[in-house]
Amino acid sequence: MSVTVPLDHNAELRRAGAFAHGFFGQARFLARRYPLGAAGAIILIFFILCGIFAEWVAPMDPLTTNAKYSLAAPSARNWMGADMMGRDEFSRIVHGARISLMVAISATGLGAIFGVSIGLASGYIGGWFDLVFQRVVDVLQSLPLLVMALVITAALGPSLENTIIAIALPLIPSVSRVIRSNTLSLREMPFVEAAQAAGMSEWRIAIRHVLPNTLAPLIVLATAQLGSTILTEASLSFLGLGVPEPHPSWGRMLSESAAEYVRTAPWLVIFPGLAISLIVFGTNLLGDAMRDLLDPRQRS
Amino acid sequence: MGSYLIRRILLMLLTLFGVSVLIFTLLRLVPGNIADILFDAAGMIDPVEKQKIIRELGLDQPLVVQYMQWISGLLRGDLGFSYISEKPTIDEIAPRIPITASLAAMALTLSVITGVPLGVISAVRQNTKLDYALRVFSLSGLSLPSFWLGLLILMGFVHWFGTIPIYDRNNTPLEQLAFMLVPAMAVGYRASALIMRLTRSSMLEVLRQDYIRTARSKGVSDTGVNYDHALRNAVVPVITIIGIEAAFLIGGLIVTETVFNIPGVARFLVEAIRMRDYPIVQNLVMFIAFSVVTINLLVDLAYSLIDPRIRITD
Amino acid sequence: MRRPLGAVVPIRRFARCVVLALVLLASGTALAQKSGGTLRVTHRDNPPSASIHEEATISTVMPFASVYNNLVQFDLSTDRQNRLETVSPELATAWSWSEDGRRLSMKLRAGVRWHDGMPFTSADVKCTWEQLIGQRDIGLRKNPRRSWYFNLKSVEASGPQDVTFILAEPQPSFLVLLAGGMSPVYPCHVNGAQMRTHPIGTGPFRFGELKQNESMRVVRNPDYWKPGKPFLDAIEFTIIANRSTSVLAFGAGKFDLTLTGDLPPSMVDEVRAQAPSTICEVQTTNTQANLLINRDRPPFDNAEIRRALNLVIDRNAFIEIIGRGQFLIGAAMMPPPSGLWGMPAEDLASVEGYGTDMATRRAQAQGIMRKLGYGPDKPLRLKVSTRNIPAYRDPAVLLIDHIKHAYLEADLEPIDTGAWYVRMLKKDYQVGLNVQGIGIDDPDVVFFENFACGSERNYTAYCNKDMEALFHRQSQMIDFAARRKLVWEIDRKLQEDGARPVISHQRQGTCWWPYVKSIRLSSNSIYNHWRFEDVWLDR
Repeated sequence: MSVTVPLDHNAELRRAGAFAHGFFGQARFLARRYPLGAAGAIILIFFILCGIFAEWVAPMDPLTTNAKYSLAAPSARNWMGADMMGRDEFSRIVHGARISLMVAISATGLGAIFGVSIGLASGYIGGWFDLVFQRVVDVLQSLPLLVMALVITAALGPSLENTIIAIALPLIPSVSRVIRSNTLSLREMPFVEAAQAAGMSEWRIAIRHVLPNTLAPLIVLATAQLGSTILTEASLSFLGLGVPEPHPSWGRMLSESAAEYVRTAPWLVIFPGLAISLIVFGTNLLGDAMRDLLDPRQRS
Repeated sequence: MGSYLIRRILLMLLTLFGVSVLIFTLLRLVPGNIADILFDAAGMIDPVEKQKIIRELGLDQPLVVQYMQWISGLLRGDLGFSYISEKPTIDEIAPRIPITASLAAMALTLSVITGVPLGVISAVRQNTKLDYALRVFSLSGLSLPSFWLGLLILMGFVHWFGTIPIYDRNNTPLEQLAFMLVPAMAVGYRASALIMRLTRSSMLEVLRQDYIRTARSKGVSDTGVNYDHALRNAVVPVITIIGIEAAFLIGGLIVTETVFNIPGVARFLVEAIRMRDYPIVQNLVMFIAFSVVTINLLVDLAYSLIDPRIRITD
Repeated sequence: MRRPLGAVVPIRRFARCVVLALVLLASGTALAQKSGGTLRVTHRDNPPSASIHEEATISTVMPFASVYNNLVQFDLSTDRQNRLETVSPELATAWSWSEDGRRLSMKLRAGVRWHDGMPFTSADVKCTWEQLIGQRDIGLRKNPRRSWYFNLKSVEASGPQDVTFILAEPQPSFLVLLAGGMSPVYPCHVNGAQMRTHPIGTGPFRFGELKQNESMRVVRNPDYWKPGKPFLDAIEFTIIANRSTSVLAFGAGKFDLTLTGDLPPSMVDEVRAQAPSTICEVQTTNTQANLLINRDRPPFDNAEIRRALNLVIDRNAFIEIIGRGQFLIGAAMMPPPSGLWGMPAEDLASVEGYGTDMATRRAQAQGIMRKLGYGPDKPLRLKVSTRNIPAYRDPAVLLIDHIKHAYLEADLEPIDTGAWYVRMLKKDYQVGLNVQGIGIDDPDVVFFENFACGSERNYTAYCNKDMEALFHRQSQMIDFAARRKLVWEIDRKLQEDGARPVISHQRQGTCWWPYVKSIRLSSNSIYNHWRFEDVWLDR
């Protein structure tokens, strides 16, 4: 079940005309070839920009309460209405993009860093190291992701950082598995043997030659995980953990409003729900396109 | 094959041992123990009474002793008593397992009977409007927060049918089955999306292989080729998903059981974590881990049976 | 100073009942109760146990109060307010105070049997209250109401139907304590572990089952000592942890009644929108949001900063936002008209921090902080700790926003439920936002539980001997008007002392369908009226 790695997919892409017209030309080429993926990328970029420029995009401070506007319906002042505390929902959603993306990117990144390190070391060093770490991975993998995250957030206490850690930890096994199996097959490749014959140090080979070649499956996997981390945070929030106040977390905004204001203030349920679904949908579209692009077996 | 099986089982035991150490340690890292939680309901803490409870439950023993007591009990089949209900752990867990298991089985069945055909259709009609529509539909399944999806379903039922599909133990078995279909669909949507995607991609791979071209060139009709090979090739992704989803499904079940108020083990586990009911959490996690590793073993064995190209030498 | 209370009351009450019965007869049988049926009630979480004496939560009281009986209870048929005058017989048929007001003698009902068939006698009463004052151990793990019985010296059983409570000082409110929903009589022959999991009582319903995190069920006691009661065959409480599911299910008719006092005003609106024909009552729950201020640690060891904090809280905003305009402003005692002992609004307005002119108060607070060297460019940074559940978090978020005006820049520190009291008792916090329920609207309960030196629920360890002397003085006063005046004075001092600044008194909703008859809620408690013996279903 090992994944065949495209050692030189650039050449293949060049043949297909991918590098014909510089960056924009390339983008246009990819967009035409993967219209769904392009849509995903646009959605994601949109939210990333929202997150980065939240202070400028949001018309109000997301934390300032105002009794006068408590549960105000959407209006010219509050485009998406206001929550119970009279905080502007639109501003909270914009700032929430930052929180959601921060959780998603940090958790995925953290999971990838540890997963890659363990996978690469396991696959390359082998022996007792591999044996020990694969058992650790086995253990992590046989515990359900959400249960792990629940226990960890409970143990570490509710905070943004701890939520990220709790979501990242359970991601490690799948990353390290993929990287390890890739590394194992790469080790047997002629260019690695050649490097060894040339007297290159093992670490140098691992970092310079093996690692770059595992990037393609890593990108595919990480993009796929990006969306699911956002959903995990939402589920944690629903269960009363997750990113705590005062951070405007979409998951908490949605789960708490869904409990209290479905009828009296539906805008508090619709907008955060749409935001979560849209951003996850976008990452999934992009993830699919990435897989098609980077995994030659899927290419049509 | 025999020695492979023995090796796998030994590794399984090692994994389970690791899980037991991990969950035991993690639980002790969580601040607040059962005595704190018990006093929380009383709105006060009396240090003397608290010490009495701690002693009564053996929580004043060294951790190693507590761990050994738990494991030796587990090996003897004695799971101890729930801290909250003060009933045997096994009596608390055992009746809830079939509920969750049947929900999971129904969800998986539903996802297979929808995911596989849709995946095949999507592959055969690759890059048509139908393909795009199906892919967007399946991706939506992966994009909705599961509690939101569940709540939307509940609200839809209340709005259009004037009734609410939540668990009711006064239901007849038939009603129960009909009810369980609704949460099973909510859980299964995600799994069906995964199966559809995997079926589609493995179908695409197969369709490009030489023997299909050969079959076509021999004059076998397109439809005949597609569906004959499709079914055979659909089995692998389904099994893969079962393997991957085994652990993930529990997460979806926690949320779904909460939304539809189903008294299964998944929601029970979350409550037990909240209450620091160590005997329940530890034993339930061991049970889940055992199920996950067993399912994974069965999946690997199934691979080798279905597809002789996959050797199990590892 | 003798005041013959009990013995007279039942006779008067009997007369009233006769009159009422005649009126009913005259008006035809329009109100004939129907027997049978199962009442289905929503519940929010797993009750920690079925043993009422060990818990202080409605999660236990509402499902299991019907298993037990008290000695006396509050009669809600004519007056919704729980107070001394409405105390009426239950297992005690009559009572009288001794000349010096230190001995309360009770005559117990004869022929009552526990659900396991054993006879109920004075020994059970003696046993129960001896456990509560620590003179006996029948295996209860916790005793959250020890502070209630600071004045109870011993219990004497002079005959199988005669029991006397011996007090250290006169205490008219002692009867009120006995009448509360958290004062059932326990059987002496049943141990604590069983009372927690399968309780035995004398009440109208027998314990049916307690399925952890799933449901509770009590079933009709066919041998109940009140003939013809109860009307219901069974009551089933279903635990639905998720609030939206719970409200949807109630609105869809899956349930007849909601867990009492559990719906915040916003959710009552939600229920009314979904099911307009349901009856929803919003009542003062005797739950208050207040601040636990750590005076042993900087910065709040400084009385001036405590004062600035208190000045800058806009209590009206809490009422408007979190209470949807329905919460009440009050001090330690529940405000009138729901409550009996709270300061009148005009008195309250003169207490610092309660005035309506926010601008002046903010300016005052800023002045104090400026004097101490703080300002917009140099705010005082601190942490507001609270339990990580919405009912605590929402007011905390609001508080943080308010105190910014006094240059107090606070971060929210949400604390997991399991660690909350531990942290408070270790005094490992600066300001804690606490939401606290009070069992009975009586100064003896509120003052001794929360502000007496050494009480377990005195989280801030506020300890002032002069104040404590006043607590005792009011407790011994027989004359209601004079006592209430002293209570107001004490309450004012507590607020001015910043002992535990009260932010708001909560009001929450209970909803039921119109076919559920005879649900009576009291105006000043959620705990004291869940015997369910009069409730019937008109279906």
